Amino acid sequence: MGDIVVLVKPALNPDMLRSKPDGTVDIVGIPLKFDDIDANAIEAAKELKKNLGGKIIAVLLLPWGPTAKRSKDLRMVTQEALARGADEAIVIADDTLLPGDQVITANVIAETIKKHVPNASLILVAEASIDQTTGQIGGRIAAKLGYPYISYARSIKAEGDKIVVERDVEDRIEIMEARLPAVVSVTQEINEPRPPTLLQIRRAGKKPQHKLSASDLGITVERKKEPLEYRILTVSRKQIIIEGDTLEEIAEKLIEALEKEGVLSI
Amino acid sequence: MVSSLVVGGTLGEILESLTAASLVGEPIVLAYGQAAAKAEEIASRGVKVFRLNGEHPDLIFKAAKKLFEELKPKVIIGHSTKNNRDALSRLAGLYDLAMATDVVKIEPGDDHIIYERGFLSERAIAREKASYPAIVLINQKVFEPYSAQGQGEIVDIDVGTPDVQIVEIKKKQLSGINLEEAEIIVGVGRGFKKKEDLKLAFELAELLGAQVGASRPIAADYKWLPEDAWIGISGKRVAPKLYIAIGISGAPQHMAGVNNSKIIVAINKDKSAPIFKQADYGVVADLYQFVPVLIKKLKERKEK
Ligand SMILES: Cc1cc2nc3c(=O)[nH]c(=O)nc-3n(C[C@H](O)[C@H](O)[C@H](O)COP(=O)(O)OP(=O)(O)OC[C@H]3O[C@@H](n4cnc5c(N)ncnc54)[C@H](O)[C@@H]3O)c2cc1C
Repeated sequence: MGDIVVLVKPALNPDMLRSKPDGTVDIVGIPLKFDDIDANAIEAAKELKKNLGGKIIAVLLLPWGPTAKRSKDLRMVTQEALARGADEAIVIADDTLLPGDQVITANVIAETIKKHVPNASLILVAEASIDQTTGQIGGRIAAKLGYPYISYARSIKAEGDKIVVERDVEDRIEIMEARLPAVVSVTQEINEPRPPTLLQIRRAGKKPQHKLSASDLGITVERKKEPLEYRILTVSRKQIIIEGDTLEEIAEKLIEALEKEGVLSI
Repeated sequence: MVSSLVVGGTLGEILESLTAASLVGEPIVLAYGQAAAKAEEIASRGVKVFRLNGEHPDLIFKAAKKLFEELKPKVIIGHSTKNNRDALSRLAGLYDLAMATDVVKIEPGDDHIIYERGFLSERAIAREKASYPAIVLINQKVFEPYSAQGQGEIVDIDVGTPDVQIVEIKKKQLSGINLEEAEIIVGVGRGFKKKEDLKLAFELAELLGAQVGASRPIAADYKWLPEDAWIGISGKRVAPKLYIAIGISGAPQHMAGVNNSKIIVAINKDKSAPIFKQADYGVVADLYQFVPVLIKKLKERKEK
């Protein structure tokens, strides 16, 4: 079989929110990080590689600019993908593709796969990212490549040129069977990613990285949407820490406070 | 002229989506799964219903594609469910359409739609403008159910066979609790060390007349609770008057599901846990020591 492609997103870190004085999000001030569920996708790829063979190719597209300011974060995310188990990385960072959106991302990644990993057996993507959380990239790429798509995988087993997937839907699990090549989105439940070891981190530096631009891929960008405003959602909570000499005292004070709020019906 | 296509798998989803869609213009409906069995009820709102047998995402995709190509709606609207995201992301990919999810507000224009949606794990709101045709997946309970009256036509839609085979369906064991309606919720997280320990939370909940909900790992990964207890961006969105989070760190994906609570209480042994910044009242303590004391004090109060 061919190689396994894993999409890795350098995502805005919602735990490091930055705002401007007018309450809008300071996008450029928020650092990028290796996206959470991409770790599950790489871990799944490592497991499947035992059966499917081939290499694990991480494909990274920088979605937030400017490229000059993001190069360090992008390098860290690429390193992490390689340390976690990707054998090679393809990195696309290009100011003409910024800011990224899902139409651009899907076109760039589908073109990258067609031109640079045409033999891909399986394309793995996270169920959703931590910044946009729209969960649509897998489906878009599957449609562009004309491959079967299975979303929300809780397990993937490879048998010959077939995969069997447990797909999570709200009230049931569907066991699905597809022929390869296919695109699969993975959930957080699919496995428990192991943090990379020191040795893996050191080795990551020696693994091949390929850099691509929009013109290398022959991509011309047509935007279907434009951002108007990104506004911080302010939750104004009281943030009162209840203190006391004993747990009894704290419990009493808490009950009193909740009664005052009128939220206890005891 | 048809200007919007509603896609949904339950009656409730479809009625709320119809209200949103009618802001754009004349809607038609693609009803699959449970909603297909409710086609008459949907048609009695005066809309034409295309009824799809089953709820295989391949078939939902093919049916939506067929209707999109034939009727050229400006907007496709539905709830942000897993099947809708799966099927409609493929349509979005095929035609390079803008697609928004978790949408909480729409303002349709002549050649574009402005919408607001969750961003940065819902710690922010993105306001964006997409050109038609576009796909807009809304959050539940943002729009009232559509109440127009009329007599719509029902047409069965046949799109052949799926590409991927479903070889088995396993129903999840659900508790059937309706967390969305609960007045008080006790939320449990990974601070609990084993399943049996959850009895502390249940005892507290019983005293308070509360339901028990959970962070995603407790319900979906460890399966210590049924999955309809799962609260958050990818689970249930709740709005109780009181939410008591026990052993929950306060990840944005969890808090997205509880931010509409009136009062939030956090019990966590780590004083730097992010949840304390997002709570009204915090108790820095080991849950195994504090919750039994809280239960005792509540009992005393009740007996008085
Ligand atoms: C795309 C995406 C979607 C997601 N969707 C959801 C979702 O819908 N819902 C959701 O909940 N999560 C979701 N998550 C996961 C989320 O990011 C967190 O990983 C999860 O919410 C953490 O659950 P937790 O707070 O129970 O566990 P942890 O983060 O591990 O927190 C456990 C807490 O318990 C405290 N603790 C430990 N022992 C004790 C003790 N003895 N007494 C008191 N406190 C103790 C610790 O200090 C810690 O703060 C999603 C993630 C992603 C990437």
